[in-house]
Amino acid sequence: MARDRRQEIPRQPRSAVQPPVASVATPVAASSSGGAGQTGLEGRRSAGDGRPSETVRGVATLLLSLYLAGLALSVASNSASGTSALLETIHSRFFSPWMVPAWLDVGHDTRLTYGLPEDADHHIEVLPVEGSGRGSVRIPAAVERSERAARWRRLARAAALAEEGDEQAGVLPAAIGGGLFAKVGNDDLLVRVGRVVPPEFSAAASPPVAETALEARVRRIDGDVQLIPSKPAEEMAPVIDRAPLRGGEGSGS
Amino acid sequence: MIESPRNAVADFCRGGAVTWEKFWFLPATASRLAVVRILAGLLGVALAWSWGTDLVGWFGDGGIVSPAVLEAWRSPTAVSLFDFVRSPPALWALFLAGVIAFVLLAAGAATPIVAPLAAIFWASLLHRAPMLAGPADDVLAAMLWCLVVSRAGDTLSVDRMLAGREPAPSWRNRTALGLLRIHASVIAAAAILSQLKADIWWDGTAAWWLASRESSRIGIAGILARSEWLTNLVTHAITLFEGAFALGLWQRLCRPLVAWAGIICWPLIGLLAGETFWGGAMAILSFACLPTAEDDTRP
Repeated sequence: MARDRRQEIPRQPRSAVQPPVASVATPVAASSSGGAGQTGLEGRRSAGDGRPSETVRGVATLLLSLYLAGLALSVASNSASGTSALLETIHSRFFSPWMVPAWLDVGHDTRLTYGLPEDADHHIEVLPVEGSGRGSVRIPAAVERSERAARWRRLARAAALAEEGDEQAGVLPAAIGGGLFAKVGNDDLLVRVGRVVPPEFSAAASPPVAETALEARVRRIDGDVQLIPSKPAEEMAPVIDRAPLRGGEGSGS
Repeated sequence: MIESPRNAVADFCRGGAVTWEKFWFLPATASRLAVVRILAGLLGVALAWSWGTDLVGWFGDGGIVSPAVLEAWRSPTAVSLFDFVRSPPALWALFLAGVIAFVLLAAGAATPIVAPLAAIFWASLLHRAPMLAGPADDVLAAMLWCLVVSRAGDTLSVDRMLAGREPAPSWRNRTALGLLRIHASVIAAAAILSQLKADIWWDGTAAWWLASRESSRIGIAGILARSEWLTNLVTHAITLFEGAFALGLWQRLCRPLVAWAGIICWPLIGLLAGETFWGGAMAILSFACLPTAEDDTRP
């Protein structure tokens, strides 16, 4: 059988990405219908129908199975709902190391919207705190609907969402401010992430609500970028005198 | 005559193996993939363009996506060619090299070399600023790797003109088409599973939320606001379509219908959601899922 294969002349030119095994073992390619009636289990006999050799099919099957398992785990593990510890461990140890670099380790959970404020369109406003400058900057402009604008909206949304985590909190606002010092012409900026939240459907006639999702002061002193977080006014708790604790609770020291 | 359980299991395994071999290894021509290659190349140029305007502002020295930002955002196993360049000329050189790779991919020039280069460039670009990546970028990345597997440059290409002879069908084209179909189905299934976690996809008002955002490309918010039923209809039509698409690609009779529906409906959903390129990318995937002439010859 092997001797028969060696006698066959590959019809297709060998490409740069074609596996070496395939170029040696791929037999003369017949018309697609010519081999259609033969089954895969007759691989040795059907080598003349343009299908790869049994060895190549075996290797390809293994790789495909591995990839499909990785794809399934990526979808299961990259969901916004989280994942089980077992799946996460298998996924991160055996699949992420080779799927992440190729940008294939993505969950594809395109929810489009959940109707939450965080699903509204976000934007970044940067304005000088004091002194002169070129005025405030809003990116993207409200009317801009390009893919570039979509990327800025993602950046703004990521900055707002990151404030809920410990590791990423404050990183993006500082970076946005630092990156826009020159554009605004001032080294002391107020970085604000705003969003325009559509009204509920039941109140569809109402205008959308402009919210501030994040606000921080970013300044550069002697080359160091400093971040001073500030809560949006609507989120500030009212300042009141401390009420006496009931029943003396917590009064002891 | 009653078949023994052992024979039944053997028949089942044999049938599965035959189906697997036909799905992945039956030779196919490159014509369908050539169109996918051209469209993917053009989509790559368009998406890359959206990074170009702010390239230095994001990735340059003192840019927004600084190493500190990357450290907090990026997976430890991620790597990017853009990590090694910071100066504006070097950034632009690498970026333009990637754009040229997309152009060559669309033209089908040196496709076996250009296709992996385009995929590597795209993954590198996305890893340089993962928080800026959107669903269209994810779909394009998957498509590019599928094209790497294929012999998509065999037809409708500069390579074909230079070769001057009719290319033979290749099993690699079938494998690539299979992978594209699986991705199309998985992406649609993942989308609908994700959407149905939220009440608004059940109460039928999700279309209103999509249309009333600034980024929506279809100005139907006013129309939807006047009719709850229409809003419900559009919302449920989206989920119904996504479900039918994910499943219908695996049913022989439904496949052409849902694939054609995908070519029309995905861009519309993309326009409504403000994800135009994602809609376009899904339409390309839908095109790849249309039955081929070789499929009709299958027993």
